[in-house]
Amino acid sequence: MATHFEMELDNLKSIIKKIGKLAEGQVNEAVKVLLQEPEAAEGKTIKKTENKIDKLDVKIDEICQSIFALQQPVASDLRYIMSAMQISNEIERIGDLSISIVKKAKNIKEKHDLIVKFDIADIARQVELITEKTNKCFAMQDGKATGEIFVLNRDIRNNCEDAIHDIINEMKVNSKAVVSGTNLVIVMKHLERISEHCTNIAEYVYFTVNAKIIKHDKLDDILPEE
Amino acid sequence: MKDIKIKVNDLSLYYGEKKALNEITMDIPANKVTALIGPSGCGKSTFLRCINRMNDLIPSVSITGKMLVEDVDIYDKNVDVVNIRKKIGMVFQKSNPFPKSIYENIAYGPRINGVTDKTKLDEIVETSLRQAAIWEELKDRLDDSALGLSGGQQQRLCIGRTLAVSPDIILMDEPASALDPISTSKIEELIHELKEQYTIIIVTHNMQQAARTSDHTAFFYMGNLIEMGKTNSIFTKPIQKQTEDYITGRFG
Repeated sequence: MATHFEMELDNLKSIIKKIGKLAEGQVNEAVKVLLQEPEAAEGKTIKKTENKIDKLDVKIDEICQSIFALQQPVASDLRYIMSAMQISNEIERIGDLSISIVKKAKNIKEKHDLIVKFDIADIARQVELITEKTNKCFAMQDGKATGEIFVLNRDIRNNCEDAIHDIINEMKVNSKAVVSGTNLVIVMKHLERISEHCTNIAEYVYFTVNAKIIKHDKLDDILPEE
Repeated sequence: MKDIKIKVNDLSLYYGEKKALNEITMDIPANKVTALIGPSGCGKSTFLRCINRMNDLIPSVSITGKMLVEDVDIYDKNVDVVNIRKKIGMVFQKSNPFPKSIYENIAYGPRINGVTDKTKLDEIVETSLRQAAIWEELKDRLDDSALGLSGGQQQRLCIGRTLAVSPDIILMDEPASALDPISTSKIEELIHELKEQYTIIIVTHNMQQAARTSDHTAFFYMGNLIEMGKTNSIFTKPIQKQTEDYITGRFG
């Protein structure tokens, strides 16, 4: 029979899964808007989902606070709840960044050409992928998936840096591209940040599973030797 | 090694045929608090009572293995059990002051150990009560009966009585389980202060108390020592699954 405490933990787990899925949806929507896909949602839906995410974020904090106060969790339970608080924070940030991407994307003129020119679609797909993988990593509490997520994050970071470099060069020679280019640089930075937040979530999952804090570690120290 | 106060080697204890402790091997560090935790009947109190040979009083008990206190095997036949208990004080779950005055409760031990000088005894009473963090509360009523004190005060008086004979080691068997939260926190604070001078071993069912008060924690289960380590490690990342299950309340 599940104890009262276990039921509370399960409840917490399902809320984090839910908020994670909502944030993943927000990322997908942001990418659709960015890539001008026809089925892109209007701003209203995105705003509504954002409100849901905010509410769940507060709810997670409340549940964690009550568990700390009433149950004094230890060992793996303690790690799980510490991580839950951090993860919900990261997810909430992913949601915010997605909204910001939608706003910025609207200011980019001749978006299609720029996106093709700088391979933005590939990067956006990578960011969708890392978000999906991170949600799975959390749902399965799969400490081993962290390595894969770190590698993907590294690729995304490098690709974003390259794209930003190219966009800036374009702006240098073509002053008409400055406004759109600047907005696109911000979008790239947001995509990169989303990927970083996913990596942070993976780090917390790793901490929950392996009782080892790996944030600030170098990638080579974390990845298993071949 | 200087830092190890008690060295336990393959200690087994039998109640008649029944083995209650199974080849326990552990080092208990000096001037630290070591907590013994585990479910009822796991052997933690039995183990605690081995340290000052309290189990000698039970006829069916037999013990194998070694219990070295400062390198002396206390189960060696040449060892005087009275001396051991002088060096190793004990505080029990239920406070058990003598039906005498507060002063006499503290002076009793030193007196039977040959201290007769009134000034010396006064000094011991004051020092012991101060160390037990109860002097300020009791200094004006030393001649009152100890039985008139509250449970928390009685327990601190008993700790003071233990300190009066200058032990090295203090064993505590659920010292705060019958006390209210304020008295409990006073006892816990006291434990924290006493470890400067004494080696303390505490048995407790209260996991948070073990976590708050101890430097090291040993988890017992069915007569076995499952895991011993720094309290911080035991309560954040225990190595054994049984320990994890016990401290997170998922046992059995």
